[in-house]
Parts: sequence; C-alpha cells; structure tokens
Amino acid sequence: MIDEHHGWNLSFKPLWIGFIISLVLVVSAYRIVAYGHLKHDTLMLSIIMIGCVLALIQLIFFLHLGLEEKPRWNLIMFIFGVALMFILIGGTIWIMNNLNYNAMPRMGH
Amino acid sequence: MNTHEVSPDTHHDVYSKTVFGFWLYLLTDFMLFATIFAAYSVLSGNHFGGPTQKQLFNLDHATLQTVIFLISTFTVGIAGVYTHRKKRGGAIVFFLISFVLGIVFLGMELHEFSHFIAAGSGWKKNAFASSFFSLVGMFVLHLVFALLWVIVLLVPVFRFGITARSVLRLTCLKMFWQFLSIVWAFIYTIVYLLGIV
Repeated sequence: MIDEHHGWNLSFKPLWIGFIISLVLVVSAYRIVAYGHLKHDTLMLSIIMIGCVLALIQLIFFLHLGLEEKPRWNLIMFIFGVALMFILIGGTIWIMNNLNYNAMPRMGH
Repeated sequence: MNTHEVSPDTHHDVYSKTVFGFWLYLLTDFMLFATIFAAYSVLSGNHFGGPTQKQLFNLDHATLQTVIFLISTFTVGIAGVYTHRKKRGGAIVFFLISFVLGIVFLGMELHEFSHFIAAGSGWKKNAFASSFFSLVGMFVLHLVFALLWVIVLLVPVFRFGITARSVLRLTCLKMFWQFLSIVWAFIYTIVYLLGIV
C-alpha cells in the first residue's frame, strides 16, 4: 500500500519541481547582487528573503516537511527547532550589539 | 481473540521511527550551525587590517559551488527514489554521481581556502577569518563525513543488493545530504551574498 508520504518517496516529480525552483532562486539572487540596481536596504532584504524561500523549498520538496500523516511530529520538532534558532541567533546579535554600544568611549566627556 | 484485527506493520514502524530519530539529529546539527552562524555574524566586521569580504570573495566562484551542490542534492534525491523502488543500478549510479559532484565541490572549497590564506587572511589573522574558517570549515567537515558515508553504504549495496536495512540507511544518508544543501544555502546567502553587498 502506498500512502501519501511514500508516494513522495517514489516519485521524481517533487525533485524536479524543487530543483528548478531552487535554481531559479539562486540565479536571481546572483543576478540582483552582481548587477546591483537595487538600493542597499532593499537588496539586503531581498537576499535574505530569497535565502529563506530557498531553504523552505528544499525542506518541502526534498525532505518532505509537513507532508507526513498526523500526528506531525517531524513538523512540530522542526517548528520548535526554528524557534530556538531565532532565540539563539537573534539574542546573540542583540546582546553583542548592545555590548559594543555600551563599551564605546563616550564622545560627550 | 479477533484474528481479523490488523497487526501493526512493524517494518514500516521501524522505518518511520528511524527517520524521525534522524530528523531530530539533523535539527540538533542545525543548532550547532546556528551557534557558529551567530558567532560569524557578530565577528564578521572585525578585520584588524586584513582583507575584507569584498576583497576576498569571488561571487562567480561561490555561485558555481552553490549550483554544483544543488545538482548533487537533486541527484541524491533521484538515488533515494531508486532506492525506494529497489532498483540497485539506478541507486548506485546516482549516488556515485552525487559523490563525484561532492568531490568537485570539496576541491573548489579547498582551493578557495588556500586562496584566502595566500591573500593574508588565514584563520589566525583576525576575528572575521577565524569565524569564517570555523563556519565553512565545519561545513566541509560534514561533507567529508557524508562522502565517506556514501562509500561505506554503497559497498554492501553493490555486493548484496538493496535490502530493507539498506533502504533505511540510504534514506538517512539522503536526508543528511539534503540537510547539508540547506545549510549551504544559508552560508551562500549570509556569508557570500551579504558579505559582498
């Protein structure tokens, strides 16, 4: 018996879709950086967006994220992991920037 | 006792439990990379007189590497489909194609490392270089293990064909490779693209 999850394991189609979308995303990220017509902030934001979409596309079409049957333990653990990563990376950047700011020699004195 | 009761499919049970366990391992490995990413994003501005990202990075080189690794992820996926269909020839051929692409990627990365060291940005030079070599070096270390893993797993497949155990093992290898591809997508975005902008 082939359930939905196993169907994805046996088919070439999701691989082709994921590969072509990923390739388009990589080439478009390269294009906007190499021929920088965009403003700095817009460019930064669009690069980060493209990177996140690229990771998501590969998670769905290659690693079949969220396509299992209930209860979706893989998806739940993934969301927990992403939350931890945000706390870790965001918290580090935040506290280290604050530290830099507070350790700067005071200009007014 | 009701003899018509459906007995649990123990083989499928072992398969899904193993895949879930391996998924948890991959998430903890993501945590490892997240800590190094955090270190890199804090330290990447400290050059101490050494060359900056703009002077060091070659966008064409990094993009070519990204595309090569993307193709290898795709072929590893195809090898995974052949494994699930129990087609030994296709599985071996496509795992070997991925292996060769992985070697090419590794060669390009080591070439880049030697170029950076020659340009006066070895890992001892400044905080940026230390964090860069920690991050990308950790990725290279993972890739070396994946390449060794391909050889170790393909030998029994070559000799005995695809068994239920080898489907399990090759699926874990396929997931590991695809996980590395996602990590590289973040390295390409955060280190190379944002470093050049």
